[in-house]
Order: sequence, then structure tokens, then C-alpha cells
Amino acid sequence: MARMKFLCDAERCIECNACVTACKQEHEIPWGVNRRRVVTINDGVPGERSISVACMHCSDAPCMAVCPVDCFYKSEEGVVLHDKDLCIGCGYCFYACPFGAPQFPQTGAFGVRGKMDKCTFCAGGPEPDRSEAEFQKYGRNRLSEGKLPACAEMCSTKALLGGDGDVIANIYRERVIHRGKGGEVWGWATAYKLPPAGAQQGAPGAGAPGAAPAPATPPGATKS
Amino acid sequence: MLLTRKTDSTRVAGPRLDRTLGARIATMDRRAFLKRSGLVAGAGAFASQLPYGTMGKAQAADETANVKTEVHRTVCTHCSVGCAVDAVVENGVWTRQEPVFDSPLNLGAHCAKGASIREHGHGEHRLKSPMKLVNGKYQKISWEQAINEVGDKLAGIRKESGPDAVFWVGSSKHSNEQSYLLRKFVSYFGSNNCDHQARICHSTTVAGVANTWGYGAMTNSYNDMQNTKCAIYMGSNAAEAHPVSMLHMLHAKETGAKMIVVDPRFTRTAAKADEYVRIRSGTDIAFVFGMLYHIFKNNWQDDKYINDRVYGMDKVKADVMAKWTPDKVEEVTGVPEARVYKLAEMMAKNRPSTVVWCMGQTQHTTGNAFVRASCILQLALGNVGVSGGGTNIFRGHDNVQGATDVGPNPDSLPGYYGVATGSWKHFATVWGVDYEWIKKQFASQAMMEKPGMTVSRWIDGVLEKNELIDQDSNLRALVFWGHAPNSQTRGKEMVEAMKKLDVLVVIDPYPSATAAMAAMVRKDGVYLLPAATQLETSGSCTASNRSLQWRERVIRPLFESQTDHAIMYAFAKKFGWGPEFIKNYEMWKPDGDAKWEEPTPESVLKEINRGMWTIGYTGQSPERLKLHMKNMQTFDVKTLRAKGGPCDGDYFGLPWPCYGTPEIKHPGSPNLYDQSRAMMDGGGCFRANFGVERDGVSLLAEDGSFPKGSDLTTGYPEFDHVLMKKLGWWDELSDAEKKAAEGKNWKTDLSGGIQRVTMKHGAHPWGNAKARAVVWNFPDGVPQHREPLYSPRPDLVAKYPTHDDKRAFWRLPTLYKSVQEANVKEKVAEKFPLVLTSGRLVEYEGGGEETRSNRWLAELQQECFIEINPVDANNRGVRDGEYVWVKTPTGAQIKVKTQVTERVGKGTTFIPFHFSGWWMGKDMLGFYPEGSAPIIRGEAVNTATTYGYDSVTMMQETKTTLCQVEKFTA
Amino acid sequence: MIATRIALTIVSVATLALAGCGERPQVINYKQGTYQGKPDTPAYQGAPFNGNKQQWDNAIETRMQSQNEYTRLHD
Repeated sequence: MARMKFLCDAERCIECNACVTACKQEHEIPWGVNRRRVVTINDGVPGERSISVACMHCSDAPCMAVCPVDCFYKSEEGVVLHDKDLCIGCGYCFYACPFGAPQFPQTGAFGVRGKMDKCTFCAGGPEPDRSEAEFQKYGRNRLSEGKLPACAEMCSTKALLGGDGDVIANIYRERVIHRGKGGEVWGWATAYKLPPAGAQQGAPGAGAPGAAPAPATPPGATKS
Repeated sequence: MLLTRKTDSTRVAGPRLDRTLGARIATMDRRAFLKRSGLVAGAGAFASQLPYGTMGKAQAADETANVKTEVHRTVCTHCSVGCAVDAVVENGVWTRQEPVFDSPLNLGAHCAKGASIREHGHGEHRLKSPMKLVNGKYQKISWEQAINEVGDKLAGIRKESGPDAVFWVGSSKHSNEQSYLLRKFVSYFGSNNCDHQARICHSTTVAGVANTWGYGAMTNSYNDMQNTKCAIYMGSNAAEAHPVSMLHMLHAKETGAKMIVVDPRFTRTAAKADEYVRIRSGTDIAFVFGMLYHIFKNNWQDDKYINDRVYGMDKVKADVMAKWTPDKVEEVTGVPEARVYKLAEMMAKNRPSTVVWCMGQTQHTTGNAFVRASCILQLALGNVGVSGGGTNIFRGHDNVQGATDVGPNPDSLPGYYGVATGSWKHFATVWGVDYEWIKKQFASQAMMEKPGMTVSRWIDGVLEKNELIDQDSNLRALVFWGHAPNSQTRGKEMVEAMKKLDVLVVIDPYPSATAAMAAMVRKDGVYLLPAATQLETSGSCTASNRSLQWRERVIRPLFESQTDHAIMYAFAKKFGWGPEFIKNYEMWKPDGDAKWEEPTPESVLKEINRGMWTIGYTGQSPERLKLHMKNMQTFDVKTLRAKGGPCDGDYFGLPWPCYGTPEIKHPGSPNLYDQSRAMMDGGGCFRANFGVERDGVSLLAEDGSFPKGSDLTTGYPEFDHVLMKKLGWWDELSDAEKKAAEGKNWKTDLSGGIQRVTMKHGAHPWGNAKARAVVWNFPDGVPQHREPLYSPRPDLVAKYPTHDDKRAFWRLPTLYKSVQEANVKEKVAEKFPLVLTSGRLVEYEGGGEETRSNRWLAELQQECFIEINPVDANNRGVRDGEYVWVKTPTGAQIKVKTQVTERVGKGTTFIPFHFSGWWMGKDMLGFYPEGSAPIIRGEAVNTATTYGYDSVTMMQETKTTLCQVEKFTA
Repeated sequence: MIATRIALTIVSVATLALAGCGERPQVINYKQGTYQGKPDTPAYQGAPFNGNKQQWDNAIETRMQSQNEYTRLHD
């Protein structure tokens, strides 16, 4: 089995926030702690894209590397987890993480004062699987039930895929093949952001998403 | 389907903590239990330096031997997509929810609201007990006192001023059984003054579409959009309003379909479109006819289809070619010719193509014309009755379709029977009571057969001068039974109406904005009765694609709430017609409480099956529906048909019309008017609802146009006993059937014999006719563009003025021209130069008090806001994130946060309508009952919205009004 | 000589005294780069898999196909 991974298909994400509330609901996460968030770029203009972000469960996790008390560990499937009892809440992992995954609850939140909290890939933490202690500190352990993260399972358009990286890749590849009909997907036009031959330039304020204005043809380039 | 899973009771010595917890479970209160829920002890920890120690024996220390775990299958109660949910309940507490991957409708997917529906099991901000407003504060009272006082007050008003002095606002969130019962309830009370959310949502759709070709519902389905080659979303923000429908659309797009969005805003749906066109709010007719102009000009229309199945397209064509040339289209809509042409070409050359709409088309003074224009477009292209085509109308609430079909409509009894004498007699028989007795309940037979007032105008029913209203008394009492007030316009006047009422009753799981608004303006005379949600009862609900799904009860009603039908029965007894109300039903006490008896939802559905012959709600018995819910995985996702398994051949949810008795096993109709399928295969044709001929032209389908496998190959009118006899089919009825059917037609024959024999011959009981492109009984036979009452273009008002005022329309005087002309004269468009439109957010639903009380949703949208273009913001010195006053011609002003964005074009602003709890800048927290205010409160945009109503259905014009924005000063 | 012996005695007495108090070392016995927290068990350890990794793998991979609507839509 490959490592556990997430993939959010930006072509499908509609920023519905199901992943966010699924996570909140599944683990009874308190107000102010955002294990998962949807990020939108180009909000409100053609080219708007959304992507759902939580802990990426890195193979070489920076959080694990920098933690002064070494409270991180990695499961066999590559899920990055940590021990809240050991965590001192220093925030160094927060500093190191490129994705903003570590969260720091306010006092009394989630039963543990100020300790770092983050996405667990619904795999709980270093307490007996599916025990009360594990639920209090880390949330549900869906992996031990043979289930996958709630966010990925409930995504409204199946944009967010979560699970075995190999399987995700296959699922995603099938979509890519279907999307990629016709020569306009590959070739210079895609690489150099030229509009497909013969396409109209939209009227003001009514452009197609992702259509960049036509730049001057680079020397030597052939339009497809 | 009740799966009782008892965890195995092999007790193994585990840490002491687990054992003590196991012993304490039974005595824990619900909230504490929720915190510790999901207990299944894992193996003991191994002492080791590494995370994984030696692989010891697996230990399943069982603390859950005394926890009863059940899984109940229900349906999300928010929107009309109908996503199934498996609710895991432990010891009666709802602890987890799992996605139902098997469902062919949503395949396990949810949006933010569905993924957090378990919060209904907490319900911390629910209305917990009956309450009464005493000296400006809400005090707890007992149910007995509540039923008695409210019952006495309403009975008193009925005695003094007649039953029409009470208005009952029903709910699109009631189950089919509950909304059906509510219509009966109001009928027995003696009035037609009832309504529900469909009025302000898709009433124009229902009227416009039904008058075009027969039924006013989504013709195809969300799933069927997988088969389309080109979809145009005109006035729909499906990515936020129906997120899971985008699963089907995006899959279709991946496999080659094109997607077009036409909207004043660049919505999240537009972000996924291949083509986006920005259009001025309120000009859809001009746009659609602009497309039609190119279609006719290039001969892209389907001539054979038009000849066989459409009446009056020639008149439409004449109108379109003369009036909607590209220059005129650009003048009105702002869209240049090239764009309109491109979209017309895409729709014409990628057939079957489909049109999707929601409030963007319906909520206008000419909404009925907007929707008909879209229908005409699809008729011209030959797209109706085709898989992948049709008019895919996305309904709003989870059961607005069902409530429209069988629920509290002012102009009709259940099943669109209307309120004529014959209809009342039909229902008297179905309900098992004497027609004369029902008639006696009403003020007079005239009032019995006059459509009631609408929820969009109830405030005028209270405030208008008595001599101008078309009933004896003004409204003196109002019951909000599962309906919010902040989704209707003219909030400023609404509180005046609330002040004037004798008594105001709210029956809802949440106090709703009504409680706060009322407490703000009066000291007493308000009652709040806690109703249970749909998760605390069972029953059926109808999704937008007309499929019915059965909900199992997840948990018992929380706190002191009661199910709506239990409350109805309690009041029925109080008003003295308890036995009549429950005549044909089985009664039960779901939780053994002697005081609260209610009809079983199954027996109510069976009565619906016996009486709803018009729309084919006859075949969906509770047994068939429950079987569908248990075997969801057997249904194909593209066609919705079961392939093998216990439901073999059925379409999922038996989408209506599902003709005949359940024994006949009609499979349901997935796509309406589809002549390529046989009658018993789910096919159909256009209804013969409008007569047989008009101006010498036949209204029946042409020869050779008929549903597959029909014995009749010509057009034919609706079936009645005369036609049966003429065709020589009468003798195929049994003797019992003949007795019942004599003198009746296909809608009133309670034996179902006429329908059964007709179906046997492959013909349709409703006739085989042409669709009408010209609806001669509407204000505009051919849809006409008319400027909104609060139009930003006075110059165009002169060219495209609105309708004349109406004297008595749904019992009230209704103004059009006088308002519009006054606006032009007073230069309202100069003082309020920005178009204000409102709409939905994905995190909230409807009036919003329910979803804003869900902490997981509330965190995501914490403030009401206005979207404003950077140019307009800079012109007013307003920055992103600042508060502003939004002022409208009503004199109201609301305080909202700005979001400066290019999403809206210059001159247009947008405010979501889900907020309430602030009133013109002041937090209304103090006016809510203690502990039941929603977490997030904000301004209701409808506090400030303006007058304007559809010319056929009294739909409110919420999509286009005017405002001014100024920096906030205290 | 005597001074050294006295010093040695003092030191040994001091050490014994310290040992007698049961005083803990002031510095954590820190192993750089190794997880220092509580032990955890693999996801497949408990019921219903009971240590059978292959069974768990299969369950996960089967369940993952629920995220792929193409399995139910044969285009």
C-alpha cells in the first residue's frame, strides 16, 4: 500500500465547505480551530479556483523535523500524528509547516490547553484506538474502522480525494483522460497560455474562466 | 430499516478508566454522553519507545455492551437534492453520521450543510418549550396552556371575524404527510388562507410551466444532466444553492458537455462555466428572445417538433423577430450580439441541451413570463421530453416540491385539484367526511372557492384598508408554521403588521426571526410552540426531480418539542373536529406518551395514494418507497432505473407521475413528456389541459406524434368516461370500477379504473396535446420584457412599462404602474443608483435561523455583507471590510460589512438573504427567548426590500430593486 | 593525602545523600530525532481487523472507490 495522501481536484472544487464541516462534525472540533480550510484564488473573477487544504502528511515532514520535544511520529501508511501530552505548544511546527496545518486552540478547547491540533487523517493519535481519551484529544479514528477521512468521503463534487496515494492517482488519471479531449489540452497553447486557435476574445466582463489575454507569439513558437 | 448492532460482549481486563466509564453510561446526561460517544476501547497501550510496539494480541475491551447502536437512514433536510444520510444512534443519542455512497442521487456526497446535519442532534439553540410573550419577555408555559390559550384565541377570532381572519403559513420543510395534513387542517378550520415557501421561490415556475405544457415541475433530473451536451444556467447559482448537483454537472462537463452561465454576478457556478455572460438583473426575457432571434434566423429550430407538439410558435417568432433584434437586446440587457449569438449557437448545435433556472428567473414581477420564455426556447429547439434536455428547475427546500404537490396552497387542494366545487367533493370523499360539513366550516361557498391570500402579501392582509380587500375581515391572527419572516420583502412594514395582529403564533423548531421581531414591537400576544425537525419523525419527502424518499426517524423529539402532525391533531381536537381530522388513519403514540397521539405517516401517505390521481402520487406506497431506500445500490446513476434486485425496473423514488395503484407497479417517470418511452416505461406526452382547439388550430398533438407503444396514434383530449365509451374501452373496466367511474374523469375516478385501462392501451390519461407557446390566459400571451418596478433605467421604463394595477388580486389590491411611474417621477433611480439583488450562500439555508444556530456552519459566515464593485466602492469612499449603511427607497437602512469585489458588475450590489437578528444596526439578541438565539445574527436584507409582485402568482420581486450605499456612521 | 581522602569521603557522602533523596536528574534524557511520546498501535490492530493488515488494506482500497463516481457511471 502506498502512503496516505490527499488530493483536491481544483477543477471540481466549488468551495462548498463540506470538507470543513465534515471534519468539524466528525471530531467535534471547537470554534476557532480549523483543521481544514478551503482556499480560493482569484475570487470573483474568471480564473477563480478553490482548493481544500489541511495537513499534507508530508513524507519528510518539517513539523516533525523541527519539534523541540519530538512529539511527532508517522504511521506505517505515512500519516503524521503527534502526542498532545508531550507537545509544549511552542509553535515551531506552525512556523515550519508550508501549509498552515498546525492549529492552536484557545484555553479549554478540545480538552487540552494550547496544545497544537491538526488534521490526523482521521487516524486519531497515540491513545488506544477509538477510546474516549483518543476522541477527547484527537477526534475519531476512522482509519481503524476501515474508513477514510470524513472530508474526502463527503466532498460534494468528489473533488477532495483522500486515501492510498496509488488509488487516488488512478482515480484522478481517469478524470484527466476524460477531460483531455482534443488537442487543445496538450501542446504549446497549454504550456504558453495561448488561447486555442479561433477562440473569441470575450466581451468586457464576460470572459471564459482561465482565458488569459493573448500575449505576443513567442519567437519560434508554433500555434497549435 | 433498522440495523441494531450490538457490539460483542467479550469483556477483557482493560484499564480501570474504561470500566468505570462503561458503568456510568446509563446515568450520563445527553450532552455529556455526546462528548464521550463512540466508545469502543482499543487495545491497551504497549510500553515501548517506538510508536508501534510489539504486536500483542488484539484486545477488544468492551465498554459498549450496554450501548444500543442503531443506524437510521434519513434524508438531509436542507435543499431539494435529497442527499441520504445514515445516522448512527447510540442509546438514543445521535452520535455519528455516515455518507450513503449507495444513493444514486448524491453518491455519498454532501455540502457543508449536509455534512453537519448531525448538529440537529444537539440542538442547543432550539426552542425548547412552549413560550408566551409576557410584558416583552418570553416565558415558558406548558403545552396544555399553550394549546388552550392559542386555540381559544383563534377560535374566538374565527367566531367574531370569520375563519378568513386567520392566516396559516405552512412549510416546505414539512414532510408530504405533514403538509397534506396541514391543507386539510386549514380547510376544516374553514379557510383557504394558507401558503408556504413555494410562493416566494418557484410559484412563477409552477404557474408558467404548467400553463405551457402540463406540470410545473423539473422535467428531467439532476442525474439526467449527465446526458446533456450543453447546459445553460440562467438565474441559478447551483454551486452554492445545490452543490451536490454540481457533481453530476461537472462529471458531464468532464465527459464533453458544455456549461454556460448567465448571471449578473460572476458566481461560483460561473467560475466552472465554459462561457459566462454578465446580464443586467431582470432582463432575462430580452436575452432569451435574443437567443431565439438567432435560432430562428439561422433556422436552427426543430420544425417537425414544433409542428407536431407546439401551439403558437409562429406568433412567438413574429414577436421575437420584430422586437428582439440584436441592438434592442444589447440596449436592454447589456450583452453584445456576438455573445448572444455564440450562446445560441452552442445551445442549438449541442443538443440535447438543457436550461437550468432558480430564483434568478422566478423572483420578478414578470417571473411567470421569464420562465415561459425559457420553456419556449426549449420547445423551439425540440429539447423537451428528451433525456439530456428539458427544463431543469432546481427547487429550494427539501420538500418544497412535495408541499407544492400536496400541501397548503391557497389556490388549490392537494394535487393541484384547485378549489372548485368538484374538487371539494372529491376530497370530501377521500377524507371520509361530508361535503356539506366542510362547506359549513367556511364563511360561504363563495369564500370556499376563492383562492386565499399569499404569504408574500400577508402584511397587506393585516394593514390594508378593509374596504379594499376581497374578504370580510382583515387578517387578525397569523400562524408561522415552519416558515421564516425574513425571506419576505418589506420587513419595515412587516413589523407594523406584527404590531397590529391580535395574536401571532410561531410553530417551529427554532424561535425564528419572528420571535425577535415581534418582541421588538409588542409586549404580548405572541406564542412560540416547539416543533420537531424532520429528523425526529418519519415520513416521505419529494426531491426536485420528483423522486420520493422515505425518512426513518433518527431520534425522538428533543426537549419538549412535538412533531407537527401531533400538534395539528392537538389543535384539531381543541377546535372540535378531532375525529374528522384523523378519519382514515392509524394512530400511534411514538414514545408512549398518553397525551400526544398522532397519525402514522404511513397511513397518511396511503390516503394520498388513494386520492392524488392528477399527478400520479398514487403508486408511491410506503412499502415501495422503503424498499427503494433499502436497495439504493441497485439503481443506475445515469438512468435512475433499478437493474435487477427487489426494485427491478423501478425508477428511484418512483418520480411522479407514478400512475395507478401500487399494485400496478408503474415505475415512475424520470423525464417528463418523453415520447420515446412507453407509458408503463416512464414515458409521457404533453397534457391536454387547455382545451381541444383555439382559433381554428388544433391543440391536440398532430397525427403520428404519440408515446411509444400507444394504441392511439393521434392527439387526444383528457380521458373521461365519455371518451372511454367512445373508444369502446369502457367495458374493460370491472363492474366496481364502472360504478365509481360513471360520470367521472381520470382525475376524479377514485377506483382508478379509467387510468388503469388507459394505461393498458399505452395511452396517457391526461391526453396527448401540444404545448402552448402562447398562454392566452396570462397577462402577456407571448412573454414580454417589462422593466422592474424599481428599475435603474427610467428611459427603458418608458419603452417597456410594467402592468396596470390590479384591483383584487389574490384578495388584495396590487400595484404595478402606479409604483413604477411614481419612481420615475421622483427620480428614485438617481437617489438610489445601485441595483440591489439578493441570493444564497452555501453555508446557510432559507431564513437562516436553523443553520446559523449550527456552530459548525455559523463559523464559516459570521457577518452579513454586501458585494460591491470597486468602482462603486471608491466612488463612495468605502473600503473593503468596513461597515456601511445600505439605504433603500422604503426608508429603511441596514448595516452590513462591505466586500469589495469584481464579482458584481459596476452598478450592481448583492446581499445574501439568510441573515436576521439585527434590526437597522441594532442587535436583537435581547428579544429572543433565553438560550435560543442563533449564534450568528446579522441584518436581514429583506428588512429594506421593496414592493413588487408577479402578475400571476404574487411572487415577490427580490432579485431587482434599488439601493444606495454610504459609509456607516453611528 | 588525608585531604584527598577527606575530599573523597565528602564527595561520596554527598553522592549517597543525593541518591538517598531520590532526586531526579535536572536534564531530560533527550534522544535527538526520535519520537518521545506515547506509543500507538497500527490502524489495523483492533476490531474488526485484529492485526490482519492485508484485510485492512483491502477494505480501505475498496472503500476508496466510493470517491470515484466513474465506477457507477459507465461512459
